[in-house]
Amino acid sequence: MTAATPTKKDRRDQARRARLEREQAEAAAAARRRRFTRLGAVLAVAAVVVVALVAVSSSGGGGDKTAATGSAASSSSASSLAGVQASADLLKGIPQDGISLGSAKAPVRVLEFADLQCPFCRQATLDVLPSVIKDYVRPGRVRMEFHALAFIGPDSVRAARVAEAAGRQDKLWNVTELAYHNQGKENSGWATDATLKRITGAVPGLDTNKVFAARDGAGVTNALKAAGALATAHKVNETPTFLVGRGNDLKATDAAGLTAAIKAAVGS
Amino acid sequence: MSDRLRLAAIVISAVGIAIAGYLTYVHYAGISPVCEIAHGCEKVQTSEWSEVAGIPVAVLGLLGYAGILAALFVPGETGATAAAGMALVGAGFSAYLTYREVFTIEAICIWCVASAILMTVLAILTVVRLARQSPAALSTARAAR
Repeated sequence: MTAATPTKKDRRDQARRARLEREQAEAAAAARRRRFTRLGAVLAVAAVVVVALVAVSSSGGGGDKTAATGSAASSSSASSLAGVQASADLLKGIPQDGISLGSAKAPVRVLEFADLQCPFCRQATLDVLPSVIKDYVRPGRVRMEFHALAFIGPDSVRAARVAEAAGRQDKLWNVTELAYHNQGKENSGWATDATLKRITGAVPGLDTNKVFAARDGAGVTNALKAAGALATAHKVNETPTFLVGRGNDLKATDAAGLTAAIKAAVGS
Repeated sequence: MSDRLRLAAIVISAVGIAIAGYLTYVHYAGISPVCEIAHGCEKVQTSEWSEVAGIPVAVLGLLGYAGILAALFVPGETGATAAAGMALVGAGFSAYLTYREVFTIEAICIWCVASAILMTVLAILTVVRLARQSPAALSTARAAR
């Protein structure tokens, strides 16, 4: 049985409850404010980071977007052409003759069939060839030949003609390296004269005017036809395909098997 | 509730790690991803958008998922805030990459889209968790005093 009139103790308890409730409401409001501030801060920081990532992503690799030239570092974000320094260092001092790279006395031949527009050929050039060139071509154990196929589209043909024409000045490999480093989207029209001239212009000792004078000549046309015929003769039906061996005893491999095939052919 | 959100986020992060790990492997092995539905993976994975300042986006994704998973095991506000922040960055950047896939590269890589969806779900889960968790955590902290 409870008394109808509140006792002193009841009133005290009630006052305390009211105070506690008020305090809790204030605490909850403060927590809510804090929660919104923190959510806002997290969102803002995340937005800034995303914008930074997008900015770096858009400037990197997009060969046609960057205007600044100058630094020829291999970093793709700073210079307008990627891989200038890396490819110059990779090929420096290795003899070139037409489409060939490496000593004419090398016992093992590697014939590369590739389209300058093909993304897997780019991958092979950037990931596999540097070690092959360093470990086998530079020491004179392997001689490579680049046979340009141009089947993906008009950009393939334009790029292949310029590479082949650079071969007349024994600089084909510098051009193919740079073309792969700066390859654009398939059939996007990336291989413009301007881009190709920037590439040839970045190759030490290559006369760009001579390249562009020769690229539509019969010599280049016949060389490309010969590359196509050789590919057909060896039943090359995908790029990149590498034929590895001694003399005319050649075995086909893809990029993943290239190093093993070379090891087997060299005998080490 | 928060526990269930956390559990869901942990499972999704683990799946994300698997996908990003696979794409990282594919990127370095130079092989074509298993991609029967839409043949865009090779094109997307070898495009200029597949790297940020020389770091493959697959690796960024892997680091992101791993970071989120780690943060989900950090108790309290710090962990929840870090997880939400990383998931939001991941979702935002994935949205940008998906835009590039559709409008610039004009090829769709289903693995990348799957990762983008996972990251978006993860962002929603972690943000809701952060929003829900804090007042309760704060009031318990006060009541305990």
